[in-house]
Amino acid sequence: MNTLLLNYPIGVLAVFVALYFALDRAFPRFMAVFEEAFIALILAAMTLVAFIQVVLRYGFNAGFQGALELNRILFAWLILFGMSYAVRINAHLGIDSLIRLFPPRVFRFFAVFGAFAALVYAIALLYADWLQPLGASTRGGGAVDYWWKMYRVGIGLDDLMYPGFLVEFAGQERVHRWVAYIILPVGLGLLAMRCIQALVDIVRGKRELIIASHEAEDLVEENRNVLKD
Amino acid sequence: MESAILFGLVFFLLLSGVPVAISLGLSSLIIIAFFSTDSVSSVAQQLFTASQNYTLLAIPFFILAAAFMSTGGVAQRIIRFAIACVGSFRGGLAMASVLACMLFAALSGSSPSTVVAIGTIAIAGMRQVGYSKEFAAGVIANAGTLGILIPPSIVMVVYSAATDVSVGRMFLAGVIPGIIAGLMLMLAIYIVARIRNLPKGDWLGWSEFFHAGKDAAWGLFLIIIILGGIYGGVFTPTEAAAVSAVYSFMIALFIYRDIGPLKKTRFIKESDSVSARNGFFAWVYGLSLFSVVMILSYFAAGEDQIETRFPIAVIVAALGGVAYIVLKQRGAALIGSVGVGFVILLRNIAESLLRVPAAVTHKDTRKAMMDAARTAIMLMFIIVNALIFAHVLTSERIPQAITDWMLQAGFDWFTFLIAINILLLIGGQFMEPSGLLLIVAPVVFPIAVQLGVDPVHLGIIMVVNMEIGMITPPIGLNLFVTSGITGMSLVQVVKAALPFVAVLFLFLILVTYVPILSTFLPTTLMGPEIITR
Repeated sequence: MNTLLLNYPIGVLAVFVALYFALDRAFPRFMAVFEEAFIALILAAMTLVAFIQVVLRYGFNAGFQGALELNRILFAWLILFGMSYAVRINAHLGIDSLIRLFPPRVFRFFAVFGAFAALVYAIALLYADWLQPLGASTRGGGAVDYWWKMYRVGIGLDDLMYPGFLVEFAGQERVHRWVAYIILPVGLGLLAMRCIQALVDIVRGKRELIIASHEAEDLVEENRNVLKD
Repeated sequence: MESAILFGLVFFLLLSGVPVAISLGLSSLIIIAFFSTDSVSSVAQQLFTASQNYTLLAIPFFILAAAFMSTGGVAQRIIRFAIACVGSFRGGLAMASVLACMLFAALSGSSPSTVVAIGTIAIAGMRQVGYSKEFAAGVIANAGTLGILIPPSIVMVVYSAATDVSVGRMFLAGVIPGIIAGLMLMLAIYIVARIRNLPKGDWLGWSEFFHAGKDAAWGLFLIIIILGGIYGGVFTPTEAAAVSAVYSFMIALFIYRDIGPLKKTRFIKESDSVSARNGFFAWVYGLSLFSVVMILSYFAAGEDQIETRFPIAVIVAALGGVAYIVLKQRGAALIGSVGVGFVILLRNIAESLLRVPAAVTHKDTRKAMMDAARTAIMLMFIIVNALIFAHVLTSERIPQAITDWMLQAGFDWFTFLIAINILLLIGGQFMEPSGLLLIVAPVVFPIAVQLGVDPVHLGIIMVVNMEIGMITPPIGLNLFVTSGITGMSLVQVVKAALPFVAVLFLFLILVTYVPILSTFLPTTLMGPEIITR
């Protein structure tokens, strides 16, 4: 695994995303619950860590090392894992009022374009060297490369330590930086996967757009017309 | 050249239906890849570092707190309290709705949830006593925008993250303008009510005022926790947000019990005697008084004086509890009542503790968590990409160029603020507030500092502009929400909201040219600001 990761990080990521996709197709209900539970757990963990830290500080004049760093990493995980989830549940905001003025065929074109732009974003951030023929100076670029350098060097985080029983296994006391940062390539990989899915769905006519027109769509839907005469 | 391409790309992507976050991120990425010497890895790295921003960490917590506070019962209690306060004026129910929106805004920090929580109850109530639906909807759509002006406010947290102004200062700065905006809306309602002879409620008496206040107090105490905690120096705004999320969870599931496993369980069983009931309440009031005194004195005096604070709190609590029983039972069976009450208190505590696992995993809790997570992810993804965009702006020295140009063109602070207002009002028609703020703030902030505009004042101006953006078409969030819950068409809601939008415009002018409204509280309570840039 180690050699594989060192030599073919992009290949490993592609296999992981493909496996995730296969699982998602095979057990859609289970994976939906898994994603929600994972996100809810991150949010709950963040809240509790911050809360307990306050209680410890004022109640017992104590605290645990690395709590702040842990919380910030959890926050990044929430966003970076959540961005693909938000594509799946169509929660990303966008402006649809202009493209809705066009005739249906043009509208369809823009709908596909929206998903395509999101896909380009995800893939370019993952691995940007393919932009070079177009004239870009990416200089070894993208999330995979960034993560791979950290993996190779194996440096640790500033404050966060492995719990005692893991120290021997990990070989060092500080939590490896690549462990925290792994969500960056993984999150972008999943985002790319969800964008392809959305793109295909839009082309097939199963989905209208990749965007929601305002942030409270669900809230409104739950309370739709509660006050109608 | 690059700046023209950058802005051109953003506008093109935004308007062609690309998600807002992706439009900002992708444009920045293209500029960096093709026009700058930075590597794409640096963008990926920024995506991670921006996601770790400590100030912004407050946002998911405030959203979570709002999700638990929006679960029905809290809004109901706040409306009852608001009606007890101002319901007896002509047009009182509408004024009470504004007050309820202000109070709810102080708990939640989000406008759409304010509109839904207060609106669903208040609009129905107003229609019952004879207000027109348009009037009711217009009032709620406008008063709901106070959610982002009255602290805690997510938009203010975003502004602070973009400009390094302290969140605490921004929150304090929002208090006076928030109250003024509410009063201006109420005054407008009163005038309309006088002209149209709208119904007037009865004064329900001080006893209703106190009962309603007591009932709403559990929720409203959150305001004290947040503001007192931040200004008492007890915690950072981010910690205050985490504490308020946990507090809201406990209030919603264990005290108000509108959701969760204890929904049908009452504190007092029917088999309990009257004296047991009185004893129980005496304990609850006593313990509440104890915590309130302890917390308030902590905010005021700090942790050193525990020797004096503790006995004072105990005495106040005991006096309060005993006074309650004496009042209720005219002094009879005091000791017995206290004893039986204590048993009931223990029973309730045990009952709550036993249900903690059920409460944490209950479907209502999960739903609130998921709603909050969804909003937080969507908002944060925009903010993170807007931060990347802002970084590109700064590294291309675009703010510098605009500053030089504006100073050369002879702008002073007066005309500059007009320009900002116009820019934001137009931008607010198309963009989600936090994203717009993050794009505009880095550009105008340096100019404002050069022209001697207070950063806190600038922040409040921006927030008020965002408010107006929420109730003006085409992308007025509150319009969508109001139209959704009332079943009125968007055009009808726009027309209904229009007269009160005029009031908010007046308010914008007032806030823009009377800086003291925004700067008075932060300067008085936290000392004059030191501008480091």
